[in-house]
Amino acid sequence: MLQLVDFVVRNRFFLVFVLLEVLSVWLIVRNNTYWGATYFNTSNYYVAKTLAFSNSVRDYTKLDEINADLASENAHLHALVAKLSQTNSGQLPAGYVPDSAFAARFTYTVAKVVDNETNKANNVITIDKGTAHGIKPGMGVISATGVVGKVRFCSEHYSVITSILHSNFMVSSKLVRSKEIGYAKWDGKDPNLIDMIDVSKYTKVYKGDSAVTSDQNSVFPPNIMVGKVEHVAVNPNQTFYNITLRLATDFRNLSYVYVVQNHQLVEQENLKSRTIELKK
Amino acid sequence: MSLREAIQYSLMILLYLFLQIFFMRNIVLFNYAFCFIYIAAILLLPADMDRMYTLLVAFAIGFVVDVFSNTFGMHAAATVLIAYLRPFLIHYQMKSRGAERAEVGIRAQGLGAFVSYIFPLILIHHSMLFLMEMNNFGMILYTLIRIGASTLFTTILIILLELFSKR
Repeated sequence: MLQLVDFVVRNRFFLVFVLLEVLSVWLIVRNNTYWGATYFNTSNYYVAKTLAFSNSVRDYTKLDEINADLASENAHLHALVAKLSQTNSGQLPAGYVPDSAFAARFTYTVAKVVDNETNKANNVITIDKGTAHGIKPGMGVISATGVVGKVRFCSEHYSVITSILHSNFMVSSKLVRSKEIGYAKWDGKDPNLIDMIDVSKYTKVYKGDSAVTSDQNSVFPPNIMVGKVEHVAVNPNQTFYNITLRLATDFRNLSYVYVVQNHQLVEQENLKSRTIELKK
Repeated sequence: MSLREAIQYSLMILLYLFLQIFFMRNIVLFNYAFCFIYIAAILLLPADMDRMYTLLVAFAIGFVVDVFSNTFGMHAAATVLIAYLRPFLIHYQMKSRGAERAEVGIRAQGLGAFVSYIFPLILIHHSMLFLMEMNNFGMILYTLIRIGASTLFTTILIILLELFSKR
């Protein structure tokens, strides 16, 4: 017993060192626990307030670009309205009557970016809307120019978003001209480029073609811009293309985003989970 | 350590944390070189400070930086590691120079000795941080370049700040 006490006293620095390291690693691994997710990230009220303060100075210098983005979004929406009023969605089959609740399932909440990262291997964004404004983890986030990410943590007034520039985030997307569906996934290097995987190499892929969110997405509304095809390569041993997209959104200048709320998401997920239970 | 010194060093730690959180977080050169200036607060603590306190202070500093950058515990882990290794390096340097008192700082040690004291610790800190952040092994070359560039950037900045600060 005395030897044990002696051992502990002699090696106390090493033991404290190991203890602190284990604590840090535990924090990293268990980053989804309730109190870790609630207090120890940038959705913490005081942390977010501080960051918002330091960000407010930079915002003034970016007003020009924000204006330009909003103007181009306006133009795009005007074009869309004109197109919709002319053609009453002619591509639907004759007997199909769209459900009005389904068509109006998405609502949007505007939020301001408080803190923004682009340079790390896993980037997150902090916004100034939280559970008090009806935001919940799992909701999609878009900007005036394209897809941004998915809500990860919420506090009462702030939320942390997993950006599309994060290693465990994928968006189901569709190439407009070749109508192929694949996944957009970041490789962790350049914040302007993103990879598109799982696109079969037996169809033609055009350079400069747009990639948009696909209809199979439950988080994002369909036809939100992801990026443009920058580079296409074929690996002879594989059945898939290696496609690189140039992102539509400039993440360095992100200022305002829209949080997308899908009112039928719960219903859809419930149905899906029932099929999984049946398989068991 | 006297009360005056304790307050002085607490202020130094707060200043470096402030610098890190408000300025250095946004500065990245060429998408490669990051600057983690806050570790200077650990490196410049007095050499004869109690090792237990150094470890705890290092954990606290790392944890604050973690909270502000959504990294959960990576900065804390890396900072505690260099706080643990620091006394060995100081001791080794003191022995090889035959000095009687261990002191830290560019004026007390001279430029050469100071660089050979901070450079290995910064390299260890940055390696640990970037390797923990790495997602897949395919990024290893990219990560190594980042480690090298960031180590140089942080070292140069700490030396500059040391040169222009009055003690």
